[in-house]
Amino acid sequence: MAQQRAEFDREFSGRLAAAASQGEGHAAGEAHAHEWETSPWPLVISAGILLALPLAFSFRFVYEQPLAAVLTLGIGTPLIVAGIVGWVREGLGGEALGLSPAAMPWFILAEALIFLSFFATYWVMRLAAPEWPPAGTVALPRVVPLVMTAILVSSSFTIHVAEARLAASDQRGFLRWLVVTIALGVAFVGLSAAEWRELMHEGFTFSTNAYSTAFFSITGFHAAHVVVGLGIFVALLLPALRGRLNEPFTRSASLYWHFVDIVWLFVVSQVYYW
Amino acid sequence: MGAALRSWLFTTDHKRVGILYLIGSLAAFAIAGIMAMLMRIELTAIGPDLTDNPQQYNVWLYFHGAAMILGFQIPALTGFLANYCVPLMIGARDVAFPRLNALSVWLFWAGILLALATFVIPDPPDVMWTGYPPYATRTWGNTAFYSFTVLLLGFSSILGGVNFLTTVFYMRAPGMGWNKLNIFVWSIVVAFIIQLIFVPVLGTAVTMLLFDKYLGTTFFDPANGGDVLIYQNLFWFYSHPAVYVILLPFLGITYEIVATFARNRVFNYKMVVYGGFGGVLLLAGEVWVHHLYTAGLPDWLRVGQMVTTLLISVPVGLLMIGLVGTLYRGSIEYRTPMLYALGVIFFFLIGGLTGIPNAIASLDLHLQDTYFIPGHFHYVMAVAGTFAIFGAVYYLFPKMTGRMYHESTGKLGFWLTFIGMNLVFMPMMMAGIEGMPRRYYDYAQFPQVEGLQQLMTFGAFVILAGSLVTLWNWVQGALRGAPAPANPWGSRSLEWTAAPSPPPPGNFPQPPRLGPEWSPYAYGERA
Ligand code: HEM
Ligand SMILES: [Cu+2]
Repeated sequence: MAQQRAEFDREFSGRLAAAASQGEGHAAGEAHAHEWETSPWPLVISAGILLALPLAFSFRFVYEQPLAAVLTLGIGTPLIVAGIVGWVREGLGGEALGLSPAAMPWFILAEALIFLSFFATYWVMRLAAPEWPPAGTVALPRVVPLVMTAILVSSSFTIHVAEARLAASDQRGFLRWLVVTIALGVAFVGLSAAEWRELMHEGFTFSTNAYSTAFFSITGFHAAHVVVGLGIFVALLLPALRGRLNEPFTRSASLYWHFVDIVWLFVVSQVYYW
Repeated sequence: MGAALRSWLFTTDHKRVGILYLIGSLAAFAIAGIMAMLMRIELTAIGPDLTDNPQQYNVWLYFHGAAMILGFQIPALTGFLANYCVPLMIGARDVAFPRLNALSVWLFWAGILLALATFVIPDPPDVMWTGYPPYATRTWGNTAFYSFTVLLLGFSSILGGVNFLTTVFYMRAPGMGWNKLNIFVWSIVVAFIIQLIFVPVLGTAVTMLLFDKYLGTTFFDPANGGDVLIYQNLFWFYSHPAVYVILLPFLGITYEIVATFARNRVFNYKMVVYGGFGGVLLLAGEVWVHHLYTAGLPDWLRVGQMVTTLLISVPVGLLMIGLVGTLYRGSIEYRTPMLYALGVIFFFLIGGLTGIPNAIASLDLHLQDTYFIPGHFHYVMAVAGTFAIFGAVYYLFPKMTGRMYHESTGKLGFWLTFIGMNLVFMPMMMAGIEGMPRRYYDYAQFPQVEGLQQLMTFGAFVILAGSLVTLWNWVQGALRGAPAPANPWGSRSLEWTAAPSPPPPGNFPQPPRLGPEWSPYAYGERA
């Protein structure tokens, strides 16, 4: 533990210098230790989030001003994307991010509690209901969820292989398996979207009953996590194509992906087959 | 854009991030304080005083509670203080993820801006800080802004938690074992573990609220298989632990101040950390039902959680014993930060004792939703926490600004606020016992409390005067104060002994070296 810490400390001082020399384009040299470090991207991302989420949502659903909603969404989303791109350039290339695998479990703890809250709500509604499924429920697909499970579980294996390839310094192998993982994730999201459309078409919507409420929020929330995971993978892939690899961050990304995979097992068993 | 401005807006340095948190949270405090004044003036006499529109009063009440808890106390403690102190106290150059840290503070600012929008948008939110359905899903008010404010601040907290836990776990200076951490660092560790577990639950609850109101889901709609009690349980499952997210860091910083100005080791360090903080962490999630004694939950839950609520007074009591023990036989110096720290002990004692009748379900059936409850939680959290934050700003003032504040002006501000707080919240509890319900904008049915109400309004003006004196002192000190030495208090802790005032980027001119005898409280034997 102590050794790990000392090791990190060394890494950290290297990182400070790297970030300073990248961030502002100052002349290289020892002066950096005395400069304030900066990065514009956190501010850019926050501004984007403020516009694209609360403001766009309120314009659309509270004040019913679609034009303003489109505008705020249209300004906010590029800000978020630009912020993430800038951050990835600045961070994933130069910085070691050696501590990210240590930080990820804390984040996963928080994420797990979100799902737990949704499931708890679902269980309470379901166990208190006089009849289940409540009136208005349509027949849910039986086969597609199994296919989706197979896809997601295998993607957990493929990302694991990618990670192992990277550890073995096999860059091409890493890229290949990373791309396979991304493809599987995209297939999963596609199936999920198709299923949603199908169900809504049959008249099973957010507001049909307690079951549809739980169904759409839990599966939707899970799908959103898959999308975020895919975004992280893309953020790994693009620098990797130009030869900039980041082993610790790959490990964190894969940890996150395994978590999303495990949550899906709960989603399938609780929401589809119970 | 000026280089200086850019170096602040784009900063990733933990000290500057901390100061950005401080500015935002003091802004929230000021505006939420103005709302409190408006409410107090409205309540001075029976009948309309400032407004005859109860909805308007609800908006004030909404902003006051939400901004004080979510915008002022939590960010001042886990944002400002954690950022400013933790890396310095553990001998680190910065936090583990400096950019993520900057993202946290700007998300917090986004939340503050959204909350401030309350005053300019049509149909502002009017759902208190609790946002209970069905009111919140039926009101004309913009509940979406409430939900998103909570979500932005919550997300900011989660990122902060991930960052700070990693920082404390992996970035301590060599030689700094777990039993040598400052008590404040411990309090932040436990507070952030609590945040990571419970904030997501609140986030989910307000998301469901948003979906119910605007997307047509039926989580809290009994006509369609939902249940409003789900919201209330999720809300308090977070919001009781949230009081510990406030309590632990404010006691933590009080420990630092008390140890420094009493020149004493922390009394029974391990009892405080493992018994006090550990005990609170273990029980924090098992007491929320004490907010729902009258909500119609089954008796096994109510009685069970009455027992756990009484049990959690034990670790809280240990924390109090540690504080008083640290004072015992110390050589006490009554500087302004120390006065505030002693104020914390005073208010927290009264607040904690008035929690016990609330915890007894049979008594609380009568006390719930009366003025007694805001009396209790203002003493225990609102006032004690604010005193700790003010004391901390005074304590860190030389470190942050490199200048000294004016001592007797500081004391004047302290005494005014101290007296004012008691003038408001003591009568508030008395009015509660006389039956005055909380959250009412008028009290024609309770003429017996009119005198007490007027006393409270008077007290509120005394607090206002004290706060203005304090603010003036800070501004004056920052602009014109005498230059401060690196360690004006003679503390033994790293932020004072190893870093100049104010600390440069990278914090320490030389990496701190800790001998085996080093401790942040190495003041020698008791006198
Ligand atoms: C020794 C300990 C304590 C006990 C036994 C206790 C007990 C209670 C109980 C039973 C209630 C609910 C009363 C009701 O609504 O009818 C309550 C409310 C409250 N307590 Fe405490 N409490 C204690 C300490 C604290 C601490 C340390 C804090 C904060 C730092 C705190 C903050 C609050 C708040 C904010 C509320 C009211 C929230 C609201 O309804 O808006 N309490 N307390
Ligand atoms: Cu509570």
